[in-house]
Amino acid sequence: MRTPLAWLNLTHDRRKFATSLLGVGFAVLLMFLFTGFKNALYDSQVQLINRLNADIIIINRLKNNMFVPSAFARRRLYQARALATVASAYPLYLSDVRWKNPENKTTRPVRVLAFNLADPILPLPEIQAHLDQLKLPNTALIDERARVEVGPREAGVVTELADREIRIVGTFSLGTDFASGNGNLIMSDQNFLRYFANRGPEEDERSFATADIGLVKVVPGAEVEAVVAQLQERLPDDVKVMVRSGPGDSFEAQERDYWRDSTNIAFVFSLLTVMSFFVGIILVYQILYTDVADHWTEYATLKAMGYSNRFLFGVVIQEALILSVLGFIPGFLVSHLLYGGAANVTGLLFQMTPGRVLNIYILSFVMSLISGAIAVRKVQSADPAEVFG
Amino acid sequence: MRRIPLAWLNLLHERTRLVVAIAGVAFAVVLIFMNLGFQGALLKSTTVMYDEFDAEVFLTSPQSLEISSTKAFPRERLYQVAGVTGVERVMPLYLEYMLWRNPETRLSRAMFVFGINPQDPLFLMPELRTPEAIQILQQPDVAFIDRLSRAEFGPQTTGLETEADRRRITIGGQYTLGGGFAADGTLIMSDQNFRRFFAPRPLDMINMGLIKLKPGTDPEAVVAEMRTLLPKDVRVLTKLDIILNDTTYWLENTAIGFIFTMGVIVSFIVGIVIVYQILYTDIRDHLREYATLKAMGYGSNYLFQVVLQEAVILAVLGYIPGLLIALGLYRLTFNATQLPIFMGLPRVVIVLTLTILMCGISGLVSVRKVVTADPADVF
Repeated sequence: MRTPLAWLNLTHDRRKFATSLLGVGFAVLLMFLFTGFKNALYDSQVQLINRLNADIIIINRLKNNMFVPSAFARRRLYQARALATVASAYPLYLSDVRWKNPENKTTRPVRVLAFNLADPILPLPEIQAHLDQLKLPNTALIDERARVEVGPREAGVVTELADREIRIVGTFSLGTDFASGNGNLIMSDQNFLRYFANRGPEEDERSFATADIGLVKVVPGAEVEAVVAQLQERLPDDVKVMVRSGPGDSFEAQERDYWRDSTNIAFVFSLLTVMSFFVGIILVYQILYTDVADHWTEYATLKAMGYSNRFLFGVVIQEALILSVLGFIPGFLVSHLLYGGAANVTGLLFQMTPGRVLNIYILSFVMSLISGAIAVRKVQSADPAEVFG
Repeated sequence: MRRIPLAWLNLLHERTRLVVAIAGVAFAVVLIFMNLGFQGALLKSTTVMYDEFDAEVFLTSPQSLEISSTKAFPRERLYQVAGVTGVERVMPLYLEYMLWRNPETRLSRAMFVFGINPQDPLFLMPELRTPEAIQILQQPDVAFIDRLSRAEFGPQTTGLETEADRRRITIGGQYTLGGGFAADGTLIMSDQNFRRFFAPRPLDMINMGLIKLKPGTDPEAVVAEMRTLLPKDVRVLTKLDIILNDTTYWLENTAIGFIFTMGVIVSFIVGIVIVYQILYTDIRDHLREYATLKAMGYGSNYLFQVVLQEAVILAVLGYIPGLLIALGLYRLTFNATQLPIFMGLPRVVIVLTLTILMCGISGLVSVRKVVTADPADVF
């Protein structure tokens, strides 16, 4: 068996090896952290959309993101139902409103999601479990992942919503985003009218004549894209019909694009990720350079023995690889913990998908490779005669 | 004779490694600067409008969270305090969002609207203070547009007509303000136009009351007096307090505070690791020399000092390029995003302190090896 030179070089000094791994791990952690924040901010925006029980979404033409409060005429949904390929079409009502924290009496904006409880709008078992209580006046479910500023998120809380009494009968789990303010509430459409039909001159009056989001289910076997085209054709131009999620022209993509284009999130976090990448290069370079410097005479001896530059190059690149793999593992594990903690504190959705993990790994590999390539130049120029001279 | 600058010579001994070390510290410094910069810029951008308000005291509803989510309160509260000594002028401010249609793309987007009495010199922007501007603002369905509004709102030429909340609106002029976090674009219109666009909202409910004091009046004293005069349905704040209130809101209610604070902490730890690596390698390489020094009678104290000196030298040498790179990146960020990201003296000092602390901690961790070095062992 060949001597695993790269491995032995690295592990020669255990303590230094540990510091090296720590260094790579931290660079990985930094990249995970900043890309994680970026992704969380985007993912959180679409988590509600992706959970809506619909194939197709109908919205007001002006609603180019969830912030825009424009609603559309509910009769468009009845028109949609006339299509043979449409199985059902349901309205979802949204409104932002002030919620009073029952403990410190401060008010915070929350988002109310309201719908006819008989309609399968959101596949949450808690809605079915609390169906009877939700049918009572002035009741709602609260998101247990709402921000702590709203106070206790549990059944039994009695406080004020839009200056009216509200009783929380249960919880569900959704999470916050930019548009939802501090959290979400779910209530019946009848209760929605109680709170929002007349909120004074400052606020828009709400009624069942308009809906915020229309959820359309197609009959089994029908092709969704074709139904979208049919609906857009049949319905007036005051509404926009789109596929719920997926790439291309979907409601989810529209929301993502809006946040990408109208905020600096991408710029800020991409810059920070790039910086972390450079920090990583420097860290790994330091490690490899010290290693090369330490084993300078050994490398020269190998050369004198007839090993080629390519072989030595291979050794340093192998070291880079080993570092990138071994450093990645602790970096990944710590990041995983941090994601969990950050999700708890912020209520944002932190997802570590295999694709993203792979991306960061590739980044840390390239990082190690670049450092390796820089460090190796010194080995290549090593002249045995000089070293022992 | 001058003492031999041992720390300096140790570091200088191997040039390439020193350069890498400095680069490492510099990047950690840049990361800290960028995190603080982004956080500061985002918070600053939320309160830029206050700098352009020509008032010292502000009235808001206790239910108002920050400038873009205010709750209206009765205008009488403002008139109740108009007679307080030292008050020069009281000015109501109306705030609301409105959908503005880009005449080119025909897409609508939410615009933040300031409604003012055109006769009130409420804003400091010179464009709004000329008699012509006041005359234009008084015309029906005319508004001034913020030059810093996002490009998605469309052209901003004077005289341009478009649609806003289903009414025709004409651009009467431009000003430079910036809407910050909550607004992609802002408009200023007269209170009468505000009434037209946001009917049925009455003008006797205002979102904010601005109070201009006579020169030389102490705002704190006026605020204290006003608090005794007004009922609890309105808060009285100085300009400094209201800016602090808004900043705190954004810091606590968005992930901004959390994200960037975490960024700073992790960058700081990374910095420690980088410097530790450097110092550790240095100590290991010079262990014989250190041991010799010890054998010669130098105390642990002296060696301790040498390592700490190296740490501080690294901190300062890394800090300088870090600061310069950060300045460049601030500039780049400002050009790319218009975020008000600027270097302030407190931040320069704080980061320098953090850097020295960072290197100091690494020094303390790595110095143990020197202190425990036993000359007999080494040889």
